[in-house]
Amino acid sequence: MSTESSKKRKPKVIRSDGTPTEGKRNRSDTEQEGRYYSEEAEVDLRDPGRDYELYKYTCQELQRLMAEIQDLKSRGGKDAAIEIEERRIQSCVHFMTLKKLNRLAHIRLKKGRDQTHEAKQKVDAYHLQLQNLLYEVMHLQKEITKCLEFKSKHEEIDLVSLEEFYKEAPTDISKAEVTMGDPHQQTLARLDWELEQRKRLAEKYRECLSNKEKILKEIEVKKEYLSSLQPRLNSIMQASLPVQEYLFMPFDQAHKQYETARHLPPPLYVLFVQATAYGQACDKTLSVAIEGSVDEAKALFKPPDDSQDDESDSDAEEEQTTKRRRPTLGVQLDDKRKEMLKRHPLSVMVDLKCKDDSVLHLTFYYLMNLNILTVKAKVTTATELITPISAGDLLSPDSVLSCLYPGDHGKKTPNPANQYQFDKVGILTLRDYVLDLGHPYLWVQKLGGLHFPKEQPQHTVIADHSLSASHMETTMKLLKTRVQSRLALHKQFASLEHGIVPVTSDCQYLFPAKVVSRLVKWVTIVHEDYMELHYTKDIVEAGLAGDTNLYYLALIERGTAKLQAAVVLNPGYSSIPPIFQLCLNWKGEKTNSNDDNIRAMESEVNVCYKELCGPRPSHQLLTNQLQRLCVLLDVYLETESHDDSVEGPKEFPQEKMCLRLFRGPSRMKPFKYNHPQGFFSHR
Amino acid sequence: MERATQLAVPLGQTEVFQALQRLHMTIFSQSVSPCGKFLAAGNNYGQIAIFSLSAALSSEAKEESKKPVVTFQAHDGPVYSMVSTDRHLLSAGDGEVKAWLWAEILKKGCKEVWRRQPPYRTSLEVPEINALLLVPKENSLILAGGDCQLHAMDLETGTFTRALRGHTDYIHCLALRERSPEVLSGGEDGAVRLWDLRTAKEAQTIEVYKHEECSRPHNGRWIGCLATDSDWMVCGGGPALTLWHLRSSTPTTIFPMRAPQKHVTFYQDLILSAGQGHCINHWQLSGELKAQVPGSSPGLLSLSLNQQPAAPECKVLTSAGNSCRVDVFTNLGYRAFSLSF
Repeated sequence: MSTESSKKRKPKVIRSDGTPTEGKRNRSDTEQEGRYYSEEAEVDLRDPGRDYELYKYTCQELQRLMAEIQDLKSRGGKDAAIEIEERRIQSCVHFMTLKKLNRLAHIRLKKGRDQTHEAKQKVDAYHLQLQNLLYEVMHLQKEITKCLEFKSKHEEIDLVSLEEFYKEAPTDISKAEVTMGDPHQQTLARLDWELEQRKRLAEKYRECLSNKEKILKEIEVKKEYLSSLQPRLNSIMQASLPVQEYLFMPFDQAHKQYETARHLPPPLYVLFVQATAYGQACDKTLSVAIEGSVDEAKALFKPPDDSQDDESDSDAEEEQTTKRRRPTLGVQLDDKRKEMLKRHPLSVMVDLKCKDDSVLHLTFYYLMNLNILTVKAKVTTATELITPISAGDLLSPDSVLSCLYPGDHGKKTPNPANQYQFDKVGILTLRDYVLDLGHPYLWVQKLGGLHFPKEQPQHTVIADHSLSASHMETTMKLLKTRVQSRLALHKQFASLEHGIVPVTSDCQYLFPAKVVSRLVKWVTIVHEDYMELHYTKDIVEAGLAGDTNLYYLALIERGTAKLQAAVVLNPGYSSIPPIFQLCLNWKGEKTNSNDDNIRAMESEVNVCYKELCGPRPSHQLLTNQLQRLCVLLDVYLETESHDDSVEGPKEFPQEKMCLRLFRGPSRMKPFKYNHPQGFFSHR
Repeated sequence: MERATQLAVPLGQTEVFQALQRLHMTIFSQSVSPCGKFLAAGNNYGQIAIFSLSAALSSEAKEESKKPVVTFQAHDGPVYSMVSTDRHLLSAGDGEVKAWLWAEILKKGCKEVWRRQPPYRTSLEVPEINALLLVPKENSLILAGGDCQLHAMDLETGTFTRALRGHTDYIHCLALRERSPEVLSGGEDGAVRLWDLRTAKEAQTIEVYKHEECSRPHNGRWIGCLATDSDWMVCGGGPALTLWHLRSSTPTTIFPMRAPQKHVTFYQDLILSAGQGHCINHWQLSGELKAQVPGSSPGLLSLSLNQQPAAPECKVLTSAGNSCRVDVFTNLGYRAFSLSF
């Protein structure tokens, strides 16, 4: 406390005041001599361990004295006070020792701290220096690396190689003696040379540009000149037309056709090209022409941007109108259907001329949305044809080309993708529209190079020339044979309807001279009627009586015997023979199910038809078959064994020469006619 | 009834021709192989088809099993009759008899082992051979047909030993009477003649058409089919189907069948007959019609019972006639399926 602190200071003051006059001198003396009392110096002299011992001892003494005082105070007495006083003085002395020791401890502590502080400061200073130096080192290193990495722009330039440089550069730039030794100078020299070269090239470039400008201008002038030439040439061509016609060289016409052909859709184009090529190369009787409106065809290919703008405008307009008055659903559907079945405005006309001056006119159309080709056919003859009633279907445009190839009936669309399109607009089948649009036969698709694989729908229009070319010849030949056979049938039917079987002279050898049975009736019947007949079940079950065939009924008579023959005429006549089924009404009804001989007669005309084909192109097959039926009926009736129980002569006396009447387990009649001996035998 | 299914394939010329051929095919004869597993059928185009009965009857039979294993052109004319020895198939048609080895017959390009033509009198027309008969005791083959004679041929040497004359019109059918070896023949002239093979003479003649009970003049007098069971004989054709007692030459039972019958055979205690009309008729010996089992052909020409001991699982009745199909009856009561050319 304050007394303690004053006691702390006091010794200094007292001691110094003890000799105040001498004090200044002492002070200076002691400063000079070193006797000045300083506790700091004392601290250095004393041993801290001993001080610690002293401290412990003093504490002990104090404790002991306090204990004694306590005793004395508790005992009481007069001596006690003096002893207590003694002890009190001793304790005071001890206290003072303790205080001194405390001071000493503080001083020591302070000294220690000061020293530490100093040392620390030094260390900090060094540390800072180190940091600074390190930073500097780093900075310098960075600078060094930067300098080392520095790439001068001059290194990016591809300089010419050294040899070339020394060869090409003029000596005032290359300065060989200087540069060889010194790489720096060498590089400088090379750069100089580079600059020189570049300047020269820039010069050249400018010259060339100006040249080009000049030439372009010249070209423009010449082009204008040429374009002015075109109309003059056209007028010359026009003028030459009469000359062309006079010389029978219709180049202009062909040229025009090719022009129009460019606007044809790809399948029609393929067809046109292949047909023209075939006509020119192989078959002079074939002629090809393009019909239709070219402008409409061009209109189909408007650029998409314009049409989109137009569409959006028209859509907006349409919306307004439709809000007021919507067309009925049926009309909408009808429109959609019409849209789906739309034809391309251009069509290809092919005319096939046959030997007898009859012409087959084929018009091919392309249905754009359905991506198929259709054909319409017409047959015109040199002379007017009087159509017999039964021949109505023979040359009708609907059926004349049916089944040109087996199974190709042309009533169904060949493109499988069309089914999905049809479902959207409610068309069941193309059959309903076929009369109007034409028939989509498979061979027509092939001629147009359109190939439809069976399973997948075709999305892109791939018109293949090779497909068309390979089919062209066969199809054209088939078409001609078809027309000619139909025309031949036409004529024959006219005769058949009058009851005369027209057998040509070169087929007379197939039959005996005398044929008594006569053809009485020849009519056409419909498919359903044929199926209803009771004796045609076998043919129907064998799948030979489809709805693409033509059906006829013939009646042959002799006396009381009536032979009914139901005829299936396949559109592929005459390569596919007509099929006969017989029913004889004479002494009961005999058909192939109850009379083996009727079966044999059918076999004679159906299975053995090859003998009856006659000379190629075998148009005589049907008439020969009918004549043979007459002969067979004669044989049948004349060789019938006479029933002894019935009275009267035989209705039909035997006139035919036969070796044997019956043969084999089925007791066949002799149906085979042998020429020229003229007798009948068995097969 | 099983019929040919509709053909969906577009028909070109060859398909139409083949269909027409099949429609007009007649199967005249059948024969079972000695092992009992195969059936040979001969048709009017001269082709012989070999069917595998074991394959068609097995449980895994497919549609192809009902088609012939092999078909080959055997004769130029129709194959009217066939028989099988224990190694050969003998087929006869237009004037010739040919032999084929059963072991080789299934291979393609099979050629006949031998062919023979009996000595004919006329050369103007080649007569057909309508019936073949094997006589096992003498190892000979009897042929009969268009030239109104029966020719006997020795199978070992191939020579024609005898010619039995007597018929006035061509012969339809033959039957063998085992006990006293006699051959019965029926012909177009309406007579059934019995020939004794040892003496080569006609032993008995039955003129069927002269008996009023069975004659049917409106059908004709021809005898189309014969079968014999030692003392008894059944025959039919133009006249009604009749059962005769041979020793007394009297007709004992007349079977009331209007249609002329073309094939008749004894089977156990029944008589099976077939002819015009699509049914096989089962007759009891008393003359009652036990059953009429319909087949698939409009008229039948031959019946064949496969009784070969080697293949009891193939014991079937097969019938063929005016179609390209051979009906197979596993149980005599109904038609199981048809094999077809």
